[in-house]
Amino acid sequence: MSIGREQVEKVAKLAAIAVDDAELEPLVAQLSRIVDYVEQLNEVSTPEGTEGFHPGPETLPLREDVVRRFVPGNPLDAMAPEFEGGLFLVPVRGTMAEE
Amino acid sequence: MSRATPATVAAAATGTALAQADADGLNATLHWSQELLDQEAHRADTSQRSGGTGLKLYGMPVAVKDNIVTTEQPTTCASRMLEGYVSPYNATAVDRLRAAGALVACKTNLDEFAMGSSTEHSAFGRVKHPLDHARVPGGSSGGSAALVAAGVVPAALGSETGGSVRQPASFCGVVGLKPSYGRVSRYGLVAFGSSLDSIAIFAQSVGEAGKVLSAISGHDTRDSTSAAAPAMGRPDAWTDLSGIRIGVPKEYMPADLHPGVRAGVDRAVDALRELGAEVVEVSLPHTKYAVPTYYIIAPAEASANLARYDGVRYGKREVGPEGDVRALYQATRGSGFGAEVKRRILVGTYVLSAGYYDAHYVKAQRVRALIADDFRQVFDNGIDLLFTPTTPTPAFRAGEKTEDPVAMYLADVFVCPANLAGTPAMSLPIGRSEGLPIGGQFMAPYFRDSRMLSTAAVLEGLLDGTAEVR
Repeated sequence: MSIGREQVEKVAKLAAIAVDDAELEPLVAQLSRIVDYVEQLNEVSTPEGTEGFHPGPETLPLREDVVRRFVPGNPLDAMAPEFEGGLFLVPVRGTMAEE
Repeated sequence: MSRATPATVAAAATGTALAQADADGLNATLHWSQELLDQEAHRADTSQRSGGTGLKLYGMPVAVKDNIVTTEQPTTCASRMLEGYVSPYNATAVDRLRAAGALVACKTNLDEFAMGSSTEHSAFGRVKHPLDHARVPGGSSGGSAALVAAGVVPAALGSETGGSVRQPASFCGVVGLKPSYGRVSRYGLVAFGSSLDSIAIFAQSVGEAGKVLSAISGHDTRDSTSAAAPAMGRPDAWTDLSGIRIGVPKEYMPADLHPGVRAGVDRAVDALRELGAEVVEVSLPHTKYAVPTYYIIAPAEASANLARYDGVRYGKREVGPEGDVRALYQATRGSGFGAEVKRRILVGTYVLSAGYYDAHYVKAQRVRALIADDFRQVFDNGIDLLFTPTTPTPAFRAGEKTEDPVAMYLADVFVCPANLAGTPAMSLPIGRSEGLPIGGQFMAPYFRDSRMLSTAAVLEGLLDGTAEVR
Protein backbone atom coordinates (compact mmCIF):
# COMPACT_ATOMS: atom_id res chain seq x y z
CA MET A 1 0.00 0.00 0.00
CA SER A 2 1.26 3.44 -0.86
CA ILE A 3 -0.11 5.17 2.23
CA GLY A 4 0.07 3.49 5.62
CA ARG A 5 -1.86 3.72 8.86
CA GLU A 6 0.64 6.06 10.48
CA GLN A 7 0.47 8.47 7.56
CA VAL A 8 -3.32 8.50 7.62
CA GLU A 9 -3.29 9.23 11.35
CA LYS A 10 -0.82 12.08 10.78
CA VAL A 11 -2.88 13.54 7.94
CA ALA A 12 -6.06 13.28 10.02
CA LYS A 13 -4.34 15.24 12.75
CA LEU A 14 -3.22 17.91 10.25
CA ALA A 15 -6.77 18.12 8.92
CA ALA A 16 -8.18 18.25 12.48
CA ILE A 17 -10.58 15.37 11.82
CA ALA A 18 -11.13 12.76 14.51
CA VAL A 19 -10.97 9.28 13.02
CA ASP A 20 -11.88 6.37 15.27
CA ASP A 21 -10.42 2.86 15.00
CA ALA A 22 -13.45 1.52 13.13
CA GLU A 23 -13.01 4.13 10.43
CA LEU A 24 -9.24 3.93 10.20
CA GLU A 25 -8.66 0.59 8.45
CA PRO A 26 -11.13 1.16 5.61
CA LEU A 27 -9.81 4.71 5.26
CA VAL A 28 -6.24 3.47 4.87
CA ALA A 29 -7.37 1.14 2.07
CA GLN A 30 -9.47 3.81 0.33
CA LEU A 31 -6.84 6.53 0.54
CA SER A 32 -4.19 4.11 -0.74
CA ARG A 33 -6.43 3.29 -3.68
CA ILE A 34 -6.87 6.97 -4.49
CA VAL A 35 -3.19 7.84 -4.10
CA ASP A 36 -2.17 4.83 -6.23
CA TYR A 37 -4.63 6.01 -8.89
CA VAL A 38 -3.42 9.63 -9.04
CA GLU A 39 0.23 8.58 -9.18
CA GLN A 40 -0.23 7.81 -12.88
CA LEU A 41 0.54 11.51 -13.40
CA ASN A 42 4.19 10.48 -13.05
CA GLU A 43 3.88 9.13 -16.61
CA VAL A 44 3.59 12.71 -17.91
CA SER A 45 6.69 14.72 -18.65
CA THR A 46 6.51 18.14 -16.98
CA PRO A 47 10.00 19.68 -16.92
CA GLU A 48 11.10 21.85 -14.03
CA GLY A 49 9.82 25.37 -14.56
CA THR A 50 6.60 24.33 -16.30
CA GLU A 51 3.94 26.78 -15.20
CA GLY A 52 0.63 25.77 -13.66
CA PHE A 53 -2.72 26.97 -14.97
CA HIS A 54 -5.60 28.92 -13.47
CA PRO A 55 -8.73 29.36 -15.58
CA GLY A 56 -10.57 32.58 -16.09
CA PRO A 57 -9.69 35.99 -17.46
CA GLU A 58 -6.02 36.88 -17.85
CA THR A 59 -6.37 40.03 -15.80
CA LEU A 60 -8.80 40.43 -12.97
CA PRO A 61 -10.52 43.78 -12.58
CA LEU A 62 -10.01 45.62 -9.32
CA ARG A 63 -13.02 47.11 -7.64
CA GLU A 64 -13.20 50.66 -6.37
CA ASP A 65 -11.40 50.95 -3.02
CA VAL A 66 -14.44 52.10 -1.12
CA VAL A 67 -15.56 50.85 2.27
CA ARG A 68 -19.06 49.44 2.11
CA ARG A 69 -21.14 48.42 5.09
CA PHE A 70 -22.38 44.84 5.08
CA VAL A 71 -25.94 44.63 6.37
CA PRO A 72 -26.68 41.00 7.22
CA GLY A 73 -30.03 39.58 6.19
CA ASN A 74 -30.00 37.42 9.31
CA PRO A 75 -28.17 38.22 12.57
CA LEU A 76 -24.62 36.87 12.50
CA ASP A 77 -24.84 35.54 16.03
CA ALA A 78 -28.09 33.63 15.44
CA MET A 79 -26.26 30.62 14.06
CA ALA A 80 -23.30 30.69 16.44
CA PRO A 81 -23.09 27.75 18.86
CA GLU A 82 -22.30 30.22 21.67
CA PHE A 83 -22.18 34.00 21.40
CA GLU A 84 -22.08 36.74 23.99
CA GLY A 85 -21.08 40.38 24.09
CA GLY A 86 -19.97 40.42 20.48
CA LEU A 87 -17.71 37.40 20.96
CA PHE A 88 -17.92 33.82 19.70
CA LEU A 89 -17.36 31.62 22.73
CA VAL A 90 -15.45 28.33 22.78
CA PRO A 91 -15.02 25.98 25.74
CA VAL A 92 -12.14 26.90 28.02
CA ARG A 93 -9.64 24.16 27.55
CA GLY A 94 -6.29 25.62 28.44
CA THR A 95 -3.53 26.09 25.91
CA MET A 96 -3.13 24.24 22.60
CA ALA A 97 -1.18 21.07 23.33
CA GLU A 98 2.27 20.89 21.78
CA GLU A 99 2.47 18.51 18.84
CA MET B 1 -59.40 39.80 -2.97
CA SER B 2 -56.21 39.99 -5.03
CA ARG B 3 -56.22 38.81 -8.63
CA ALA B 4 -54.29 35.84 -9.84
CA THR B 5 -51.20 36.71 -11.82
CA PRO B 6 -48.92 34.43 -13.84
CA ALA B 7 -46.50 34.48 -10.92
CA THR B 8 -49.09 33.50 -8.30
CA VAL B 9 -50.43 30.77 -10.58
CA ALA B 10 -46.88 29.48 -11.08
CA ALA B 11 -46.27 29.54 -7.32
CA ALA B 12 -49.40 27.50 -6.64
CA ALA B 13 -48.65 24.98 -9.38
CA THR B 14 -45.06 24.61 -8.25
CA GLY B 15 -46.15 23.93 -4.69
CA THR B 16 -48.46 21.19 -5.91
CA ALA B 17 -45.72 19.69 -8.06
CA LEU B 18 -43.15 19.80 -5.25
CA ALA B 19 -45.57 18.11 -2.88
CA GLN B 20 -46.17 15.40 -5.48
CA ALA B 21 -42.40 14.93 -6.01
CA ASP B 22 -42.00 14.50 -2.25
CA ALA B 23 -44.89 12.02 -2.14
CA ASP B 24 -43.31 10.09 -5.03
CA GLY B 25 -40.18 9.68 -2.91
CA LEU B 26 -37.71 11.48 -5.17
CA ASN B 27 -36.07 13.10 -2.11
CA ALA B 28 -34.92 15.88 -4.44
CA THR B 29 -35.76 18.80 -2.13
CA LEU B 30 -34.37 19.81 1.24
CA HIS B 31 -36.40 22.97 1.92
CA TRP B 32 -39.51 24.50 0.44
CA SER B 33 -42.85 25.91 1.54
CA GLN B 34 -45.97 27.24 -0.13
CA GLU B 35 -45.68 30.36 2.01
CA LEU B 36 -42.22 31.15 0.64
CA LEU B 37 -43.37 30.39 -2.91
CA ASP B 38 -46.22 32.87 -2.48
CA GLN B 39 -43.76 35.46 -1.15
CA GLU B 40 -41.59 34.93 -4.23
CA ALA B 41 -44.62 35.51 -6.47
CA HIS B 42 -45.51 38.67 -4.58
CA ARG B 43 -41.94 39.94 -4.96
CA ALA B 44 -41.97 39.24 -8.71
CA ASP B 45 -45.31 41.00 -9.15
CA THR B 46 -44.12 44.01 -7.16
CA SER B 47 -41.02 44.25 -9.39
CA GLN B 48 -43.13 44.08 -12.49
CA ARG B 49 -45.58 46.70 -11.30
CA SER B 50 -42.83 49.12 -10.33
CA GLY B 51 -41.57 49.49 -13.87
CA GLY B 52 -39.90 46.13 -14.41
CA THR B 53 -41.32 45.55 -17.87
CA GLY B 54 -39.74 42.77 -19.81
CA LEU B 55 -38.47 40.88 -16.75
CA LYS B 56 -36.65 38.09 -18.56
CA LEU B 57 -37.73 35.29 -16.22
CA TYR B 58 -40.97 36.70 -14.83
CA GLY B 59 -42.91 33.96 -13.02
CA MET B 60 -40.40 31.19 -13.81
CA PRO B 61 -39.92 28.86 -10.82
CA VAL B 62 -36.24 27.98 -10.47
CA ALA B 63 -34.94 25.43 -7.99
CA VAL B 64 -31.63 26.23 -6.27
CA LYS B 65 -29.02 23.70 -5.18
CA ASP B 66 -28.54 23.77 -1.43
CA ASN B 67 -24.91 24.91 -1.61
CA ILE B 68 -26.01 28.30 -2.95
CA VAL B 69 -26.89 30.57 -0.04
CA THR B 70 -30.25 32.15 0.61
CA THR B 71 -31.44 34.20 3.57
CA GLU B 72 -34.98 32.88 3.71
CA GLN B 73 -34.24 29.17 3.53
CA PRO B 74 -31.48 27.18 5.21
CA THR B 75 -28.31 26.24 3.34
CA THR B 76 -27.06 22.89 4.54
CA CYS B 77 -24.87 21.64 1.66
CA ALA B 78 -26.61 18.33 2.51
CA SER B 79 -24.32 18.04 5.53
CA ARG B 80 -24.91 17.57 9.26
CA MET B 81 -22.18 20.19 9.65
CA LEU B 82 -24.57 22.91 8.43
CA GLU B 83 -27.90 21.46 9.48
CA GLY B 84 -30.23 24.40 10.15
CA TYR B 85 -27.70 27.05 9.06
CA VAL B 86 -29.28 30.18 7.55
CA SER B 87 -27.02 32.51 5.62
CA PRO B 88 -26.83 36.26 6.38
CA TYR B 89 -26.77 37.04 2.66
CA ASN B 90 -28.08 35.82 -0.68
CA ALA B 91 -25.88 34.58 -3.50
CA THR B 92 -25.53 37.04 -6.37
CA ALA B 93 -27.04 34.46 -8.72
CA VAL B 94 -30.13 34.27 -6.48
CA ASP B 95 -30.44 38.07 -6.35
CA ARG B 96 -30.21 38.20 -10.14
CA LEU B 97 -32.81 35.46 -10.61
CA ARG B 98 -35.20 37.50 -8.47
CA ALA B 99 -34.29 40.75 -10.25
CA ALA B 100 -35.32 39.00 -13.49
CA GLY B 101 -38.67 38.04 -11.96
CA ALA B 102 -37.96 34.37 -11.28
CA LEU B 103 -39.34 32.57 -8.23
CA VAL B 104 -36.86 30.69 -6.03
CA ALA B 105 -38.85 27.47 -5.78
CA CYS B 106 -36.92 25.39 -3.26
CA LYS B 107 -33.46 24.24 -2.16
CA THR B 108 -32.41 20.95 -3.69
CA ASN B 109 -30.60 17.89 -2.40
CA LEU B 110 -27.00 17.19 -3.40
CA ASP B 111 -23.97 15.12 -2.58
CA GLU B 112 -22.57 16.56 0.65
CA PHE B 113 -20.59 19.75 -0.04
CA ALA B 114 -20.95 18.97 -3.76
CA MET B 115 -18.57 16.02 -3.46
CA GLY B 116 -19.94 13.12 -5.42
CA SER B 117 -21.27 11.86 -8.74
CA SER B 118 -24.50 10.16 -7.74
CA THR B 119 -26.21 12.18 -4.96
CA GLU B 120 -25.83 9.12 -2.73
CA HIS B 121 -23.56 11.02 -0.32
CA SER B 122 -26.18 13.41 1.07
CA ALA B 123 -26.60 13.33 4.85
CA PHE B 124 -30.36 13.49 4.18
CA GLY B 125 -30.75 10.46 1.95
CA ARG B 126 -30.11 9.77 -1.70
CA VAL B 127 -32.04 11.29 -4.58
CA LYS B 128 -33.85 8.88 -6.89
CA HIS B 129 -33.77 8.96 -10.68
CA PRO B 130 -37.22 10.13 -11.85
CA LEU B 131 -37.45 7.44 -14.57
CA ASP B 132 -36.09 4.55 -12.48
CA HIS B 133 -35.99 4.91 -8.71
CA ALA B 134 -33.42 2.13 -8.42
CA ARG B 135 -30.92 4.29 -10.28
CA VAL B 136 -29.03 7.43 -9.42
CA PRO B 137 -29.78 10.80 -11.01
CA GLY B 138 -26.07 11.58 -11.10
CA GLY B 139 -24.35 14.14 -8.94
CA SER B 140 -23.53 16.16 -7.18
CA SER B 141 -26.48 18.30 -8.37
CA GLY B 142 -28.86 15.33 -8.47
CA GLY B 143 -31.77 17.04 -6.75
CA SER B 144 -31.86 19.92 -9.22
CA ALA B 145 -31.52 17.52 -12.18
CA ALA B 146 -34.33 15.29 -10.91
CA LEU B 147 -36.78 18.17 -10.42
CA VAL B 148 -36.23 19.52 -13.94
CA ALA B 149 -36.44 16.02 -15.45
CA ALA B 150 -39.65 15.32 -13.54
CA GLY B 151 -41.20 18.51 -14.88
CA VAL B 152 -41.56 20.05 -11.42
CA VAL B 153 -39.64 23.20 -12.42
CA PRO B 154 -38.50 24.38 -15.87
CA ALA B 155 -35.03 25.30 -14.67
CA ALA B 156 -32.70 24.91 -11.72
CA LEU B 157 -29.35 26.14 -10.52
CA GLY B 158 -26.68 23.62 -9.72
CA SER B 159 -22.94 23.87 -9.34
CA GLU B 160 -20.00 22.27 -11.05
CA THR B 161 -16.52 21.55 -9.83
CA GLY B 162 -15.96 18.39 -11.90
CA GLY B 163 -19.05 18.02 -14.07
CA SER B 164 -21.73 18.03 -11.38
CA VAL B 165 -24.39 19.55 -13.64
CA ARG B 166 -23.58 18.06 -17.04
CA GLN B 167 -23.27 14.51 -15.72
CA PRO B 168 -26.66 14.46 -13.93
CA ALA B 169 -28.20 16.34 -16.87
CA SER B 170 -27.04 13.51 -19.14
CA PHE B 171 -28.32 10.83 -16.75
CA CYS B 172 -31.71 12.51 -16.35
CA GLY B 173 -32.31 13.63 -19.94
CA VAL B 174 -32.25 17.41 -19.52
CA VAL B 175 -30.01 20.26 -20.62
CA GLY B 176 -27.03 21.04 -18.35
CA LEU B 177 -24.96 24.16 -18.97
CA LYS B 178 -21.61 25.01 -17.36
CA PRO B 179 -20.64 28.57 -18.26
CA SER B 180 -17.09 29.78 -18.78
CA TYR B 181 -15.25 30.10 -15.47
CA GLY B 182 -15.75 33.66 -14.23
CA ARG B 183 -18.91 34.33 -16.24
CA VAL B 184 -21.29 33.78 -13.30
CA SER B 185 -20.41 35.19 -9.88
CA ARG B 186 -19.37 32.64 -7.26
CA TYR B 187 -20.40 35.01 -4.44
CA GLY B 188 -22.70 32.89 -2.33
CA LEU B 189 -21.66 29.54 -3.80
CA VAL B 190 -20.25 27.55 -0.89
CA ALA B 191 -16.65 26.98 -1.88
CA PHE B 192 -15.38 23.49 -2.68
CA GLY B 193 -12.59 23.92 -5.28
CA SER B 194 -12.28 27.61 -5.97
CA SER B 195 -10.35 27.35 -9.26
CA LEU B 196 -12.93 24.85 -10.56
CA ASP B 197 -16.29 25.91 -9.04
CA SER B 198 -19.02 27.38 -11.21
CA ILE B 199 -22.72 27.94 -10.72
CA ALA B 200 -24.39 26.09 -13.59
CA ILE B 201 -27.86 25.64 -15.03
CA PHE B 202 -30.36 22.86 -15.69
CA ALA B 203 -33.26 23.46 -18.05
CA GLN B 204 -35.76 21.60 -20.19
CA SER B 205 -34.45 23.26 -23.33
CA VAL B 206 -31.33 24.94 -24.65
CA GLY B 207 -33.27 28.19 -25.06
CA GLU B 208 -34.34 28.26 -21.43
CA ALA B 209 -30.81 27.51 -20.26
CA GLY B 210 -29.59 30.47 -22.32
CA LYS B 211 -32.26 32.75 -20.83
CA VAL B 212 -31.25 31.85 -17.28
CA LEU B 213 -27.56 32.37 -18.10
CA SER B 214 -28.35 35.80 -19.56
CA ALA B 215 -30.08 36.71 -16.31
CA ILE B 216 -27.44 35.54 -13.84
CA SER B 217 -24.19 36.23 -15.72
CA GLY B 218 -22.07 39.38 -15.65
CA HIS B 219 -19.33 40.95 -13.58
CA ASP B 220 -19.71 41.04 -9.80
CA THR B 221 -17.35 43.12 -7.66
CA ARG B 222 -17.90 40.72 -4.78
CA ASP B 223 -16.23 37.82 -6.66
CA SER B 224 -12.55 38.45 -7.26
CA THR B 225 -12.47 35.90 -10.10
CA SER B 226 -15.46 37.40 -11.91
CA ALA B 227 -14.64 38.33 -15.51
CA ALA B 228 -14.94 42.00 -16.44
CA ALA B 229 -17.79 41.45 -18.86
CA PRO B 230 -21.48 42.32 -18.84
CA ALA B 231 -24.25 39.74 -18.75
CA MET B 232 -24.31 37.42 -21.75
CA GLY B 233 -26.81 38.59 -24.35
CA ARG B 234 -29.38 36.36 -25.94
CA PRO B 235 -27.66 33.77 -28.19
CA ASP B 236 -28.21 34.19 -31.92
CA ALA B 237 -30.90 31.98 -33.41
CA TRP B 238 -29.45 30.01 -36.33
CA THR B 239 -31.27 27.89 -38.89
CA ASP B 240 -28.36 25.60 -39.74
CA LEU B 241 -24.70 24.96 -38.96
CA SER B 242 -23.09 25.84 -42.30
CA GLY B 243 -19.53 27.01 -41.75
CA ILE B 244 -19.28 25.49 -38.27
CA ARG B 245 -16.35 23.12 -37.76
CA ILE B 246 -16.87 20.54 -35.00
CA GLY B 247 -14.18 18.25 -33.59
CA VAL B 248 -14.83 14.86 -31.99
CA PRO B 249 -11.81 13.98 -29.82
CA LYS B 250 -10.83 10.36 -30.35
CA GLU B 251 -9.98 10.02 -26.64
CA TYR B 252 -13.69 10.43 -25.83
CA MET B 253 -14.73 7.51 -28.05
CA PRO B 254 -12.86 4.54 -26.50
CA ALA B 255 -13.44 1.03 -27.80
CA ASP B 256 -15.27 0.02 -24.63
CA LEU B 257 -17.73 2.94 -24.69
CA HIS B 258 -21.27 1.83 -23.76
CA PRO B 259 -22.93 0.79 -27.06
CA GLY B 260 -26.02 2.89 -26.40
CA VAL B 261 -23.90 5.98 -25.75
CA ARG B 262 -21.90 5.31 -28.94
CA ALA B 263 -25.10 4.91 -30.95
CA GLY B 264 -26.44 8.18 -29.54
CA VAL B 265 -23.28 10.09 -30.37
CA ASP B 266 -23.10 8.61 -33.89
CA ARG B 267 -26.71 9.64 -34.52
CA ALA B 268 -26.03 13.15 -33.24
CA VAL B 269 -22.92 13.48 -35.41
CA ASP B 270 -25.01 12.45 -38.45
CA ALA B 271 -27.50 15.16 -37.50
CA LEU B 272 -24.75 17.78 -37.17
CA ARG B 273 -23.56 16.91 -40.68
CA GLU B 274 -27.10 17.02 -42.00
CA LEU B 275 -27.34 20.55 -40.56
CA GLY B 276 -24.27 21.60 -42.53
CA ALA B 277 -21.49 21.32 -39.95
CA GLU B 278 -18.13 19.87 -40.86
CA VAL B 279 -17.32 17.17 -38.30
CA VAL B 280 -13.76 15.88 -38.00
CA GLU B 281 -11.77 13.72 -35.63
CA VAL B 282 -9.33 15.60 -33.37
CA SER B 283 -7.12 14.68 -30.44
CA LEU B 284 -6.84 15.94 -26.85
CA PRO B 285 -3.86 13.77 -25.92
CA HIS B 286 -3.81 14.41 -22.15
CA THR B 287 -7.48 13.51 -21.61
CA LYS B 288 -6.70 10.31 -19.67
CA TYR B 289 -4.90 12.37 -17.02
CA ALA B 290 -7.83 14.70 -16.35
CA VAL B 291 -9.48 12.62 -13.62
CA PRO B 292 -6.28 11.98 -11.61
CA THR B 293 -5.33 15.66 -12.03
CA TYR B 294 -8.77 16.70 -10.81
CA TYR B 295 -8.58 14.35 -7.82
CA ILE B 296 -5.44 16.03 -6.63
CA ILE B 297 -6.38 19.67 -7.23
CA ALA B 298 -10.03 19.54 -6.11
CA PRO B 299 -9.36 17.78 -2.77
CA ALA B 300 -6.38 20.08 -2.14
CA GLU B 301 -8.57 23.15 -2.58
CA ALA B 302 -11.37 21.50 -0.60
CA SER B 303 -9.07 20.84 2.34
CA ALA B 304 -8.44 24.60 2.52
CA ASN B 305 -12.02 25.69 1.84
CA LEU B 306 -13.57 23.32 4.38
CA ALA B 307 -11.12 24.29 7.14
CA ARG B 308 -13.64 26.97 8.15
CA TYR B 309 -16.03 24.32 9.52
CA ASP B 310 -14.61 24.14 13.00
CA GLY B 311 -17.61 24.51 15.31
CA VAL B 312 -16.66 28.03 16.42
CA ARG B 313 -18.73 30.62 14.54
CA TYR B 314 -21.53 28.61 12.90
CA GLY B 315 -22.62 25.11 12.09
CA LYS B 316 -22.39 21.99 14.18
CA ARG B 317 -20.32 21.95 17.36
CA GLU B 318 -19.24 18.73 19.00
CA VAL B 319 -17.42 19.34 22.25
CA GLY B 320 -15.95 15.86 22.56
CA PRO B 321 -13.81 14.56 25.38
CA GLU B 322 -11.71 16.84 27.55
CA GLY B 323 -8.91 18.43 25.62
CA ASP B 324 -7.75 21.65 24.02
CA VAL B 325 -9.51 23.66 21.32
CA ARG B 326 -8.01 21.34 18.74
CA ALA B 327 -10.07 18.57 20.29
CA LEU B 328 -13.14 20.71 19.63
CA TYR B 329 -12.16 21.02 15.97
CA GLN B 330 -11.42 17.30 15.62
CA ALA B 331 -14.63 16.14 17.29
CA THR B 332 -16.78 18.62 15.34
CA ARG B 333 -15.25 17.77 11.98
CA GLY B 334 -15.13 14.06 12.72
CA SER B 335 -18.85 13.89 13.44
CA GLY B 336 -20.10 16.68 11.16
CA PHE B 337 -18.64 15.51 7.85
CA GLY B 338 -19.70 12.40 5.99
CA ALA B 339 -17.34 9.71 4.71
CA GLU B 340 -16.74 11.06 1.19
CA VAL B 341 -16.06 14.60 2.42
CA LYS B 342 -13.60 13.27 5.00
CA ARG B 343 -11.86 11.17 2.33
CA ARG B 344 -11.41 14.17 0.07
CA ILE B 345 -10.19 16.47 2.83
CA LEU B 346 -7.66 13.83 3.88
CA VAL B 347 -6.45 13.30 0.29
CA GLY B 348 -6.18 17.07 -0.13
CA THR B 349 -4.26 17.48 3.11
CA TYR B 350 -1.92 14.66 2.12
CA VAL B 351 -1.08 16.07 -1.33
CA LEU B 352 -0.38 19.49 0.20
CA SER B 353 1.74 18.17 3.08
CA ALA B 354 5.51 18.44 3.38
CA GLY B 355 7.28 15.83 1.34
CA TYR B 356 4.34 15.26 -1.02
CA TYR B 357 3.50 18.79 -2.21
CA ASP B 358 5.89 18.86 -5.18
CA ALA B 359 5.28 15.26 -6.21
CA HIS B 360 1.50 15.58 -6.20
CA TYR B 361 0.10 19.11 -6.08
CA VAL B 362 2.73 20.92 -8.15
CA LYS B 363 2.76 18.02 -10.61
CA ALA B 364 -1.02 18.16 -10.98
CA GLN B 365 -0.94 21.92 -11.62
CA ARG B 366 1.56 21.36 -14.45
CA VAL B 367 -0.51 18.56 -15.99
CA ARG B 368 -3.56 20.81 -15.71
CA ALA B 369 -1.72 23.31 -17.90
CA LEU B 370 -1.14 20.58 -20.50
CA ILE B 371 -4.83 19.65 -20.47
CA ALA B 372 -5.83 23.30 -20.94
CA ASP B 373 -3.28 23.61 -23.73
CA ASP B 374 -4.82 20.62 -25.56
CA PHE B 375 -8.08 22.60 -25.80
CA ARG B 376 -6.31 25.80 -26.82
CA GLN B 377 -4.41 24.09 -29.63
CA VAL B 378 -7.51 22.44 -31.07
CA PHE B 379 -9.51 25.67 -31.01
CA ASP B 380 -6.59 27.68 -32.43
CA ASN B 381 -6.44 25.22 -35.33
CA GLY B 382 -9.85 26.07 -36.74
CA ILE B 383 -12.20 23.98 -34.62
CA ASP B 384 -15.22 25.99 -33.45
CA LEU B 385 -16.64 23.47 -30.99
CA LEU B 386 -16.00 19.99 -29.67
CA PHE B 387 -18.71 17.31 -29.48
CA THR B 388 -18.43 14.23 -27.25
CA PRO B 389 -20.53 11.88 -25.14
CA THR B 390 -21.22 13.49 -21.76
CA THR B 391 -20.86 10.28 -19.75
CA PRO B 392 -19.40 6.85 -20.56
CA THR B 393 -22.64 5.09 -19.54
CA PRO B 394 -26.28 5.91 -18.83
CA ALA B 395 -27.35 6.25 -15.19
CA PHE B 396 -26.04 3.41 -13.02
CA ARG B 397 -27.84 1.65 -10.18
CA ALA B 398 -27.75 3.01 -6.65
CA GLY B 399 -25.04 1.31 -4.61
CA GLU B 400 -23.16 0.13 -7.68
CA LYS B 401 -20.12 2.39 -7.18
CA THR B 402 -20.22 3.40 -3.53
CA GLU B 403 -17.71 0.77 -2.35
CA ASP B 404 -14.87 1.93 -4.63
CA PRO B 405 -14.25 5.69 -4.64
CA VAL B 406 -12.15 5.52 -7.83
CA ALA B 407 -14.94 3.71 -9.73
CA MET B 408 -17.23 6.61 -8.81
CA TYR B 409 -14.63 9.18 -9.87
CA LEU B 410 -14.39 7.61 -13.33
CA ALA B 411 -18.02 8.57 -14.00
CA ASP B 412 -16.67 12.09 -14.56
CA VAL B 413 -14.04 11.14 -17.15
CA PHE B 414 -15.62 13.16 -19.99
CA VAL B 415 -16.83 16.14 -17.97
CA CYS B 416 -13.99 17.15 -15.65
CA PRO B 417 -11.58 18.32 -18.41
CA ALA B 418 -13.75 21.38 -19.10
CA ASN B 419 -13.63 22.35 -15.42
CA LEU B 420 -9.85 22.03 -15.39
CA ALA B 421 -9.58 24.21 -18.51
CA GLY B 422 -12.33 26.69 -17.50
CA THR B 423 -14.04 26.33 -20.86
CA PRO B 424 -17.82 26.48 -21.31
CA ALA B 425 -19.52 23.13 -21.82
CA MET B 426 -23.03 21.78 -21.96
CA SER B 427 -24.97 18.55 -22.24
CA LEU B 428 -28.21 18.01 -24.10
CA PRO B 429 -30.32 14.88 -24.51
CA ILE B 430 -29.43 12.96 -27.69
CA GLY B 431 -31.46 9.81 -27.24
CA ARG B 432 -32.23 6.90 -24.94
CA SER B 433 -30.80 3.44 -24.48
CA GLU B 434 -33.23 0.90 -22.99
CA GLY B 435 -35.25 3.82 -21.74
CA LEU B 436 -32.34 5.60 -20.05
CA PRO B 437 -31.29 9.07 -21.25
CA ILE B 438 -27.99 9.70 -23.02
CA GLY B 439 -26.33 13.09 -23.21
CA GLY B 440 -24.14 14.68 -25.88
CA GLN B 441 -21.67 17.34 -24.81
CA PHE B 442 -20.49 20.48 -26.54
CA MET B 443 -17.34 22.29 -25.39
CA ALA B 444 -16.37 25.72 -26.70
CA PRO B 445 -13.44 28.12 -26.46
CA TYR B 446 -13.29 30.28 -23.36
CA PHE B 447 -16.12 32.83 -23.28
CA ARG B 448 -17.76 31.52 -26.47
CA ASP B 449 -20.80 30.35 -24.47
CA SER B 450 -23.19 32.09 -26.81
CA ARG B 451 -21.96 30.30 -29.94
CA MET B 452 -22.13 26.99 -28.10
CA LEU B 453 -25.77 27.66 -27.17
CA SER B 454 -26.68 28.70 -30.72
CA THR B 455 -25.18 25.47 -32.09
CA ALA B 456 -26.82 23.27 -29.46
CA ALA B 457 -30.22 24.85 -30.14
CA VAL B 458 -30.01 23.96 -33.81
CA LEU B 459 -29.14 20.34 -33.01
CA GLU B 460 -31.92 20.20 -30.44
CA GLY B 461 -34.38 21.36 -33.09
CA LEU B 462 -33.57 18.42 -35.37
CA LEU B 463 -32.86 15.61 -32.93
CA ASP B 464 -35.55 13.88 -30.83
CA GLY B 465 -33.67 13.59 -27.54
CA THR B 466 -36.07 10.91 -26.24
CA ALA B 467 -35.77 8.51 -29.19
CA GLU B 468 -34.44 5.01 -28.52
CA VAL B 469 -31.07 4.73 -30.22
CA ARG B 470 -30.14 1.25 -29.04
